[in-house]
Parts: sequence; structure tokens; C-alpha cells
Amino acid sequence: MPRNLFLVGALALWCGHASAADFCPTVADSQNFGLQYQLQGAQQGNLQLLRSHAQTAYYNPDNGVGEWWDFKQASHPNFYRVFSQQQRRIDYYTGDLRTLNIHVSQTEIESFAANNLRQQLTLVGDGACADSQRYQGDYQGVHYELLWSNSLQLPLSLSTRRNDRTQQWQATAVLSGEQVTQQLQQWQQFTDTDYADIGDNETDPFLAQMINQGFVEHSEHAVYNSQGQPLQGAHQH
Amino acid sequence: MKLNAIVLAMTTALAALALTGCGDDGDTGAAGPAGQDGSTGENGRDYTAVNQWFVEGQATVSQASQRSVSDPAGKAKNVILFVGDGMGISTLTAARIYQGQQQGHSGEENRLSFETFPYSGLVKTYSANQQTPDSAPTMTAIVTGVKTKDGIIGIDDQAIRGNCASGQNQSVLSALQLAELAGMSTGVVSTARLTHATPAATYAHAVERNWEADSNMPQAAIDAGCTDIAAQLIDFPYGDGIEVALGGGRTYFMANGTTDPENGSNGRRNDGRDLTSEWTSKYSDSAYVWNREQFLAVDTRNVKHLLGLFENSHMQYEADRQDDVAGEPSLAEMTSRALDMLKQNDKGYFLMVEAGRIDHAHHAGNAARALQDTVALSEAVRVAMEKADDDTLILVTADHSHVFTIAGYPVRGNPILGLVRGVDDNGSASTTYSTDSNGMPYTTLGYANGPGFGFGNDPINSDSYRPDLNLYNVTDVNFRQEATVPMDSETHAGEDVAVYARGPGAQLVTGSVEQNMLFHVMNYAADLVNRAEANQQ
Repeated sequence: MPRNLFLVGALALWCGHASAADFCPTVADSQNFGLQYQLQGAQQGNLQLLRSHAQTAYYNPDNGVGEWWDFKQASHPNFYRVFSQQQRRIDYYTGDLRTLNIHVSQTEIESFAANNLRQQLTLVGDGACADSQRYQGDYQGVHYELLWSNSLQLPLSLSTRRNDRTQQWQATAVLSGEQVTQQLQQWQQFTDTDYADIGDNETDPFLAQMINQGFVEHSEHAVYNSQGQPLQGAHQH
Repeated sequence: MKLNAIVLAMTTALAALALTGCGDDGDTGAAGPAGQDGSTGENGRDYTAVNQWFVEGQATVSQASQRSVSDPAGKAKNVILFVGDGMGISTLTAARIYQGQQQGHSGEENRLSFETFPYSGLVKTYSANQQTPDSAPTMTAIVTGVKTKDGIIGIDDQAIRGNCASGQNQSVLSALQLAELAGMSTGVVSTARLTHATPAATYAHAVERNWEADSNMPQAAIDAGCTDIAAQLIDFPYGDGIEVALGGGRTYFMANGTTDPENGSNGRRNDGRDLTSEWTSKYSDSAYVWNREQFLAVDTRNVKHLLGLFENSHMQYEADRQDDVAGEPSLAEMTSRALDMLKQNDKGYFLMVEAGRIDHAHHAGNAARALQDTVALSEAVRVAMEKADDDTLILVTADHSHVFTIAGYPVRGNPILGLVRGVDDNGSASTTYSTDSNGMPYTTLGYANGPGFGFGNDPINSDSYRPDLNLYNVTDVNFRQEATVPMDSETHAGEDVAVYARGPGAQLVTGSVEQNMLFHVMNYAADLVNRAEANQQ
């Protein structure tokens, strides 16, 4: 298991062109849906964004690892990491996140870490999909092209080009509200362990793997680094 | 004869030193007039009368020489046991400096409340099967007098972890259970879940520390007759039941399908039991509270059995407590009100208080929170020192240590959470930080292993493979100290921990002792077994 989270590699390597704007998702309930993204270019993979009201999760179906945020209490978010293959879940409470120096923005989590980035780019016109807009620009040495859905407040396509390296995240499918609810309920049933208790459970093979191999790494967590700053293109304020 | 001669020579030398006036003005460093015979206290400066190190050390010995060391068995009416989970000696040192610096002093001279106790010793923490233990066997040793295997609570080392049948008929009685049998009042207070290993060892028996709710147990264990830890707190069969139980872990007492009032999370009990309502049904004059406001409103004169569950899991770190959604009491507040209730019993009381989150902060490699929770424990002990009568034995100890280090040669008064700044040739604070072999600064506090290795994607010096700490606010409460060996959770350590004691029987705490000996100190001091037997007749 790599030390880095799947999202680190994913979001750090946005690239390519927003030309694949043909997919225009139709969502019945903008508070309860999912989007499937496909990563193309130098790296390839899939990622699902699941939204259920104040809950947002990112799930990598290729390795069965997910990260699940619950912002019902916005100032005290709950965070869970899920491991589908082992049917295990690690729960992080506010204090745990603080000990790990993780400070998150609900807006960034819910926007595929693209909301702040969008504000750094230039609006260049409407997109092919209804209620979508195209942005582009350079930021911190990376050229971005973004197709943004105003109704979903999410990218439909996001590409980056740094030197000759290109990558593109492309929304490819919609997940229904039922699918999202079912997935979250399934994760809710997983055997859970508080992050604070991992160190006291060295005899649990699953947790021992965490302790000794460190495959849960939070300093470079997902869309944020250990200082709580959004990674890649979202460093503004 | 030879030994006596050496002692005599040393005594003579000390006397000579004590009687010699200083030739220099120590305040300014300038050469002063020639020293005088200091025997009269005139002219010369007799350092034995003015030097703070000498005078205070002398006073300490003077006080110690007047102590009684012959307290008979049973002299202690009450026992209060404080446990800092993971509070190793380096944690004590750092916390004492931290607290002192928070008070505006250099810090090193500060003393945590319990460091004023007259007796102390070192405690060997190994368990029956591990050199470095977890909290289950260590707390079992402290409160039952029996060492057992890691992961096992209140059952001797004949049992196999996780094997229900192996633990049957192997249970061992705890000091709290004996106290109940003796007719005393009892209390359990923790900032961890009440079902966590340390508090659980006072009232429960389990071959697996993680069997905190029935949903955490395999069906085979339930079928074999084992019960979860939360249920054991409520079903507690000894005496008239535990009087005070305060801590976290609410969802372990709630039925699956019920929603936590603060966090919104789901209850963990598959058996459908609502253990909080069972508490109030079981005991007359009882109360259940789950936030600070409710807790402070409890009438401690009339409520005889109080259950407080202030978080769905562990309570907040002290650093985060003020920010809690529903509000939580401090460890000192819980200790204070627990004592208000327990002291009403003429037969005495037994109270265990745990600072449960020192351990968790260390596991996360976050020294600031570990130190703040240690200071919170010190405050709780201070409250007990003020409220407890002289017939109370107070012990303060830890279950195990952590790989937490205090490194370098920082100048006195250097911020304990800060970068190491040494001293210059004159012994004064250097103008620059001390550096490693690659010229990089480093913090005083660190860990031998843990999540603070490498700092993830953050700036790392390519020569040293260490982060450039000049770029970090290392004194921030959220700063994660560096670790030498990469691990996602920092580990316990195997060295001895400290124990401090005051009150009747405290003189028994001395030297380097096995951890299970602490039960026997409490038993001797309060005569628990005999009082329990007498109360059954």
C-alpha cells in the first residue's frame, strides 16, 4: 500500500484539456448524488465523489479506500477513512484531526478542491453543458483548464499541464442518490476504530499494518497538506 | 571503619565549604574583597545560608527526617488513585517545565502538584507476556495486585486474549470492588471512554480490552457467557454499586438505532439496551448527565449514583475542551464533584481518576496536547489534595511510558516546545539555535518513533532529510514533533514510570517496585480485604 493517499496523486496531477465536455450530468437532487471521475494522462485511475447533504466522500474503487467527511457540525467535522476490502473504518474526531494538524475547508472538500482554484483562473465563456462555465489560466507554474458546473459546484473536467506533463480529471458518470446512500450505510456498518486507539491495538493485524507501515498518512492528507493548506493550485486567500 | 572514615572526610569537607566566605561578588561577576571566615555570618557570604539550591535541599531533607514511617495497616480511610495514561517520566519533566513557563517562569524549577508528595518510587511496567505493555495489564496490576497479559482486563495471566472460556473463573478482584464490598463509596473518572482499558480495569473483567460494547464482541464470546465492558459497569454486582462514573464513551451505552445527542453518531449496542436509563432505574437517587451544564447542576448532596458520559467516544483533549460542542467538565471539576459525593460515606471511599488522553496525544506525536493533559491531571490532584482529609492515601502514577524524549542542551528557560537554543561560552543563551550535523535546528521534544517522520510533503532539507524547522511554528499546539522511525502511531515505551504517594501508608512507596505492588500498598493502607470480609459478616 503506498504511503500517499490516492487523492494526493490525483489532485496534484490535474492536466490535459477540457475538451471532453460532452458529458453533461443530470442530477435529480443536488444534495444527494455522486460523480464518477476518470483520471487520464500520465497517471490513470478512477475516483468517486459522493455527496449526501453535509457529507462528502472520495472513494477510489480501484483500491477500495475512501475518505469521508461529515460537516453536520461544520466547526467540528467528523472524518472517516474506509477500507472496503477489509471492511474496516478509522474514525477521526476533531481533536484527532487537530493533533494531526489537519484543518479543512468544507467548500474545498465539497468542490473537489477546485473552488479556490477557480477563483484564480479567468472565465473564458460558457461550457457545452447547461449551466457550466469554462475557466483557464496559469497558477504556480501550471496551466489549468476547468469546466465548472454552477449547479453542482463541481468540475466536470479539470486539466493541468506542467511542462510536457498533462493530466485530466473528467466526470464520466452520475451515481444516484440511492447508490450514495447505500454506500455510506455500508461504510457505517464497517468495524470501526478510533484513530486515537490505533496505538493501543498493535496486535490487530489491520491496525498493526497502519502502525508499522504507515499506510495511513495524514500529513499530506488528500487535498490538504499538514498545514491545512489546499494542495495544488488552491493556495490563495 | 573504612566507610566511616570516608563519611567523616566528606563531612569535614562540607563543613569547610559551608564556613568559607565567598571571595567574589557572585551577583556581578566582579572580583570582590578577600573572603572572610563565614562562621559568624558577618562579612563573608555563607552560601549555605543564602544559596537557594543548598537551602531548599537542606529544607527538604529536614522535612523528610521528621516523617513517620510506621503507619499501621488500615490507617487510610480513603484511597485516591490517579493514573496518567502514558505519563512517562519525560512527560512529567516536560509538563512541569511547560506549566512553569505558562506561569511566566523559566519552568525547570516548577513542580507539578503531586511532585510535592513526600514519597515516590519507580515502577516496573512489564506485563506477564510483554516487555512493553499496554494499559490493560498495567492497570490490572495496579488495581488487583496481579500482572496479566496484554489486552486482558481484571483476569489473571492464565487466560488467553480474546478467548472467553480461558478467562472464566480466572477473574481477580480490584481495589474498587473490594472497597464496595467493604461498604465504601467508589468512583471512576476518566477523560477516556469509561469502557477504555484503564478505567475498565477497576470494575470489569474481560479477556479482550476491545470488548467495550456487545457489538465489539464475536458472537461466540457472547454465547460462551462473556459480557461487554459497558454492561459490566451497569450490572456491577458488588456492594451498593459504583457511586460516581464520569468520562466518555456514550455510544457504548446506547442501543443501535439511537442517535447520540451531541455528535449524531449511532449507538453501539446490538442488544438494544439503553444502559444510561438502566443506571437511573437501577439506583434510586441517581442521575445521568452528558454535558457540563447538566453536570454542574447535579445536587451532589442528594444524588447518590451519578453517571456522566460527556462524549460519544473519548472526551476532548484539554486543549480543545473549551471548544466542545455540548461542553465538557475538566478533569479537576470531575474530581472535585466526585469527592463531594464520595466523602459523604462514613466508611470511606475509593476513587480512581485517569488522565486518559496523555497517551493519545503521544500516539499522535503531538507533545503540546500531552503536556496540557498532564497539567490538567496535576490540577485534578491539587483539587484532591485540598479536598481530601488526612486519612486519605493519594497515589499518582502512570500505567506505562512513551518514546518521548527531551533532547539537546537548551539554555535554562528555553521554551519547552521550542527549538533548542544552547548557551554560549559565558553560559548565557546563544544568539542562534543549536543545529544538527547538517546545520538544521531541532526541537527539544521529540519521539523515537511515530507519525512525525519526514513531514510528508512539507519542506524537507535535501541534505539532512529533515524538515527545516525554521519554517514551522514549533510551539503551536498542533505541531507534530519529529520522530526518528516512521510509524503512523507512536508507541509505548518500556522504561519505568514514577509513583508518588502521600497520606497513611505512603511510606510504602519507595525504591523500584513491581507495578502490581501498588495494589498491595493500597490494600495495606486501607485494609481493603479485611474491611471487605468484615462487612460481609
